[in-house]
Amino acid sequence: MGNTGLENGENTRIQGILDGYLASRQGLKSSAGETSFHLDEDALSAFAEGNLTQRESLPVLDHLVACKFCRHKTAELLRLDLALAGTFEDAERADTTEPSRISAVLSGLLSKIFGTTDGAVFAHEDKDDPEKTEDTDDKDK
Amino acid sequence: MQTSATSDERLNKFEPRIEEIFASCSANAPNFGVTREVFGASISNSLVRFLNAPVETPATDDEVIEFLGQLQSDDLFLAIACSNGNERAWWEFDQQHRSYLERVARQLAKTDVDAQEVVDCVYVELYGTRVVDGARLSKFATYSGRGSLRGWLRTVIWHSLVDLHRASHDEVSLDEMTETVGEGAAHATFAVTPHGGEATMVDEIARDRYRRVTIDSLEAAFSSLDEHEKLLLLYYHVEQLKLREIARLVENEASPLRGWFQRKLQSREKNPSGRIHESTVMRWLDKSYSKVLKHFRSELETMHSLSTEEIEICLELATQDLAPSGIFRNLSSAEALDVESGDLGSHVKES
Repeated sequence: MGNTGLENGENTRIQGILDGYLASRQGLKSSAGETSFHLDEDALSAFAEGNLTQRESLPVLDHLVACKFCRHKTAELLRLDLALAGTFEDAERADTTEPSRISAVLSGLLSKIFGTTDGAVFAHEDKDDPEKTEDTDDKDK
Repeated sequence: MQTSATSDERLNKFEPRIEEIFASCSANAPNFGVTREVFGASISNSLVRFLNAPVETPATDDEVIEFLGQLQSDDLFLAIACSNGNERAWWEFDQQHRSYLERVARQLAKTDVDAQEVVDCVYVELYGTRVVDGARLSKFATYSGRGSLRGWLRTVIWHSLVDLHRASHDEVSLDEMTETVGEGAAHATFAVTPHGGEATMVDEIARDRYRRVTIDSLEAAFSSLDEHEKLLLLYYHVEQLKLREIARLVENEASPLRGWFQRKLQSREKNPSGRIHESTVMRWLDKSYSKVLKHFRSELETMHSLSTEEIEICLELATQDLAPSGIFRNLSSAEALDVESGDLGSHVKES
């Protein structure tokens, strides 16, 4: 345990008290609409990554202390982050994407998105002709 | 959207820096078809939010430059291009991020079918099927580049999966829950039924008084903490995050949360720029416990005029009552607002 001047027994005791107090405190209903808004995915993910500046963090911190809903989301994101850490690098190294598979995936995906399978053609080539892109976009709209 | 609090002149001052960022992104992805105007507008929106953040002191120019430097500009460039429907950008996105999305979804979902369904839903959402005033609304438009695109996608997947679950259980979506959830510093009171025959009425009245002042003092002690200390305790005791998960949150050396803790413990942090270990987080927790206990005792002594012996009684009562089977726990569970309704408590599988 840390070096805070608390005896071990005292420390354990206050931990137990806080554990119970905070758990029960969270269970009680809000007296008013204290959290009338929630953080969006942009703010949540940036906070969980520790990418916000101090100026941006202050209001986010205030909100997370008050809002169980958003705090729970950030906690889940942190759990997920750690659960995935380390597994991705290995997985991505082993992830040899075969052209035929990409083509099949994109074909299905693009037909879902663009309503046509023509889009799969561009998948293996750089798009050199911006006008062609615009044409395609126009068609889509 | 620009507000009156942020003048055009202030924004214009940073145009050269935005121009540099745009040039760099364009050079990295010349086929994405993102115009300077669209890119600049996206950054300006983020910049306005940054400048208008509800903090007391206005942002300095150095802070703005730091902010612009921290933007994940290439990710933002890709997101803008995808939002615009650029096919080359979509191909790049699919190449770079699909397998990641699938792994995140598989980690979170109960079945592979659910995982695939959620990835499909997210793709559709990212492209955007809703058209407002002739413009397609792509989810990518909400990404600002403050965090990594992958971090944002992870959040989007998580959000979609919860919505999928809730929809399948005929429950409202997360967005719709905005008005209905929330918790705050609700004050607790004890409603203790006297133990029949074992304690006298006088004893019960005295104990009841001690209980009330104990809770009042605990609330005062917790309120006296800084926000980052409160959040740390809430993550650890309420969200049940492990020390290494909390350490992950402050892994980024530029994390303000890490900075606040290290400032508080500057004399004991020998390696403020190094990796944050679990023992360091434990030390931060320990410091917070110490502050709470000190304030708790002080509150009982000065505000409620209790003696040392009486304070000990209060501590003993709190230890008993706040135990898992204690009366305070029972009271709270009876009135609990279960935001996540049952099995939505945690989605992350143990790995």
